[in-house]
Amino acid sequence: MKTRFTKALIALLAIGTLAACGNNQTSSETPSGTPSETPEANPLAGTYDVKVWAAEAITELTTTQIAEFEAANPGIVINETVQAVGEGEAATQMVNDVESGADIFCFAQDQFARLVQAGALTKLGQKTAATVSERNDAGSVNAVTSEGNLFAYPLTSDNGYFMYYDKSVVAENHVDSLEDIIADCEAANRLFSFELEGSAWYAASFFFATGCKSEWTADSEGKFTSVYDTFNSANGLVAVKGMQKLVTSKAYNNSSATSEFTAATPSAVVVSGTWDYATAAAALGDNLGVADLPSFTVDGNSYHLGSYAGFKLLGVRPTTDAKRAAVLQQLALYLTDAKCQEQRFDSNAWGPSNKDVQAMDKVKANPALAALQAQSAHSTPQGQIHGSWWDIGKAIATGVKAATSDAELQTVLDTYKAAVDGVLAMPDEVRNAWTVIGAINGTTWNTDFEMTEVETGVWKTKEAYTLTAGTEFKVRQGLSWDKAWPAANFVVEADGTYYIVLTLDAEGNGTVTLEAA
Amino acid sequence: MRKYSDLEYLKLPKHKRLLYKIAVFFTSIPTKIKNFGLKVYNYIKKIVLGIKDFFVNIVMTFIKGDYKTKISYVIMGFGNITRGQIIRGVFFFVFEAIFIFYMITTGGKWLSLLPSLGLQGPEEVYDETLDTFVTVYHDNSFKILLYGVLTLFFVIAFIYTWYINIKQNRIAEQILATGKKIKSDKDDLHSMVDDQFHKTLLALPITGIVIFTVFPMVFMILVAFTNYSAEFNGFSKLFTWVGWENFNKLFTFGTGVNSLSATFGEVLTWTLIWAFFATFSNYFLGMLVAIMINKKGIRFKKLWRTVLVMTIAIPQFISLLYVSKMFSKSGLVNGMLQSLGWIDTAIPFWENKTLARVMVIVINIWIGIPYLMLIASGILMNIPQDLYESAKIDGANAFKQYTKITLPYMLFVTGPYLLTSFISNMNNFNVIYLLTTGNPTNPNATSSAGSVGFTDLLVTWLFKITTGAESQYYLASVIGIMIFIVVSVISLIVYSLMPSTRNEEDFQ
Repeated sequence: MKTRFTKALIALLAIGTLAACGNNQTSSETPSGTPSETPEANPLAGTYDVKVWAAEAITELTTTQIAEFEAANPGIVINETVQAVGEGEAATQMVNDVESGADIFCFAQDQFARLVQAGALTKLGQKTAATVSERNDAGSVNAVTSEGNLFAYPLTSDNGYFMYYDKSVVAENHVDSLEDIIADCEAANRLFSFELEGSAWYAASFFFATGCKSEWTADSEGKFTSVYDTFNSANGLVAVKGMQKLVTSKAYNNSSATSEFTAATPSAVVVSGTWDYATAAAALGDNLGVADLPSFTVDGNSYHLGSYAGFKLLGVRPTTDAKRAAVLQQLALYLTDAKCQEQRFDSNAWGPSNKDVQAMDKVKANPALAALQAQSAHSTPQGQIHGSWWDIGKAIATGVKAATSDAELQTVLDTYKAAVDGVLAMPDEVRNAWTVIGAINGTTWNTDFEMTEVETGVWKTKEAYTLTAGTEFKVRQGLSWDKAWPAANFVVEADGTYYIVLTLDAEGNGTVTLEAA
Repeated sequence: MRKYSDLEYLKLPKHKRLLYKIAVFFTSIPTKIKNFGLKVYNYIKKIVLGIKDFFVNIVMTFIKGDYKTKISYVIMGFGNITRGQIIRGVFFFVFEAIFIFYMITTGGKWLSLLPSLGLQGPEEVYDETLDTFVTVYHDNSFKILLYGVLTLFFVIAFIYTWYINIKQNRIAEQILATGKKIKSDKDDLHSMVDDQFHKTLLALPITGIVIFTVFPMVFMILVAFTNYSAEFNGFSKLFTWVGWENFNKLFTFGTGVNSLSATFGEVLTWTLIWAFFATFSNYFLGMLVAIMINKKGIRFKKLWRTVLVMTIAIPQFISLLYVSKMFSKSGLVNGMLQSLGWIDTAIPFWENKTLARVMVIVINIWIGIPYLMLIASGILMNIPQDLYESAKIDGANAFKQYTKITLPYMLFVTGPYLLTSFISNMNNFNVIYLLTTGNPTNPNATSSAGSVGFTDLLVTWLFKITTGAESQYYLASVIGIMIFIVVSVISLIVYSLMPSTRNEEDFQ
């Protein structure tokens, strides 16, 4: 942009020398760093300018690792610029301006869908994708997958949270119960730091405890098409009752920083992740306890707090040059492979996603990763989630704190649900329309097939589909699972080509039938 | 109704004067509306006539002109060169050449794509030998909008220059017809530093304003009519024109969490409340402090001033972030109060809606008073002391002196300052964002455009929209336009009511 503007200025100034400023408009679009030929046999040999954005803690290590990559691949020279850009910030900057962003950048999983949508990630080549899938754990591979294609490289498998606590305040036999911990904190005039009001990522913990779900489905371009959200349910109400116990306690503090252990009014408990282990250990020393999250009790039933199991990922920006794309792909793969993951574990205690590194004894012995492992039985893999959900979810705790009755708690959930429904902002005709979804027509429960209302209360698919015996599907309304028929999946009994017909009775109950074409 | 003369008016009792004033106000409304209508009509008439003149001039000059003028319609500057004004002619000609060259090479493409904002997005191509995906880019809506608008500006500039070129031919012909000589190149160069010197001086600033202010503003306003956002970023997915849809979205009235208009109304209300309190609390308290320090008999005047000015010396964002931490639940203030045993439960300074709102205003006072004190001190020292002395002789007490002498004088001098500080407080991003980041979250106003808090101003909300999950630039642009409208309406009204502009002769 800038270069072109300068060119325009030069053009204006160079009066009379019209021929001098010939049409080289496209040149500014090709990335810098054209490979120069070297006598090496390596077909990718050349010099490449690569801009890398990594978290501040690993910038130096990344520089070293790139040097090792060069040593391992003679002929390839990388002129790297490694900049310290936080994971959240990196994604925002990439989305805002892909063209001036970094070639390789680290980001947290919650930004994945947004980056795919913004066209900021290069799809992995088929062989590379196979390698990545094979070497990393299933959850992390799922985190980089969108509609069957891999778009990023798993960097860590430790983006979850658990509990750091002060052993001198919280008794060892109390760590399993939220109520006991709150009582201990209140008695000692210490705080319980849990960032419920600031982040939906943490607030979801209580909902996962009672089995609530918020699952979003995105299409191949990263655009969200539907949501299955059960936060507003009987279980959700139990969850907010549990949350209320904590947020209305005088010990509650809305933070997730382990520096709270040394604040003016110090915390006795901080819910945070592996990245804070070092500061927590420095603050508490021998008094540091690390454990999975506790359980809370509502109406006599106990619920173990859930959590998100998330991942840090590494992405590569799209380029227009095939050779350069190949080098960047190799470099990204190298940076996320076993050796580099182990180095990061050694220097920063980042939990690896690589299966071989995970199996190492030293990794298993890490207390923070052990706590994460204990919590993993109650954690929910963080799939693709609409970015707005993080804003909507963090309002729950604020509402819960102000609520004084069950009815008001219910209002908080109703408001939440309305906001979630508003995100996809479907027109009424889509919200009221019925569609067929299932393992039909070569899709795997990820595509909705349109139906039309042939007469009042009777909906029929636009086309006839070839269905084999045993195929399962369902008819749903408004691309959500709030209303779907039949209650169990419909199972096709005999092969054939059918129209699918839904008949609704006066009470709104539906019956699904097949009509041979 | 009957109009009173000044003498009659002054004879009336107080309540009748008020009634009279109200009656005058209402009876004058029809006349005012009529006058305003006439003004608008005259203005439109002027514009229409201007456009008519423009075309008539073009046609008439062509019909009446000689061959030199006629050729100038196609080859700009031909008339000037043949009549001996070489410099002018060359400038015209070169400008035309550049314009045509630009339009053929790139400008035409940008202009033709402007109505659609791009036809084909990028595509991914798989390179099997290298096992990589390569992206091939085609159109980019953002660039099309940017360069399209730039090209439009260029076209307008060209048309204007072309018209000047014609006008000059006509004038030259008229001058030559009377037998006088037209300006030579030497005369032109000379006039640039003489009678046309204002143009020479203003050429650079005006170019700068057009490029750096007018052009970006037009571009930003146009964004409000597109669907430019993270989803349609013009890079991986093209964006397009949507007309007034975004404005409709903001002004579709409704309630509930998903209503943008309800959220907008709530944020705007708080913005105005905040701007009012932030401005006037600072103004009066700052003035009070200045008066106190200025009072005869107060010792260590310089010390007090220095202590207050110290807060200016520390960068605002450091002190604000620090104060924000100080008042947090685990912060110094709560810790101290608890250890003293004054409170049992920490005070939720930033978690409670009312407390948080009061806190930002109070902390803003702490930051703002020193500035006001500095300004007020200077002005207070300038008030003639004899005014106070004669007031004292007439038996006015200190409060009377303040309301009748100090305050009118201050308001007269600082009126424009008060207005600008009201507006800058409406857009006071620093204080709000660094202290609270807009929190506590407003659970009933969390729209999909980004979470909104109880202390969010329009400008911090705008920031959250652009940096939020969906980066709705179009919505941010709409809100930016709204802020502009609100600010300009307030400024115009207040400005016309200000004593500084109405009674310019007072206090001179």
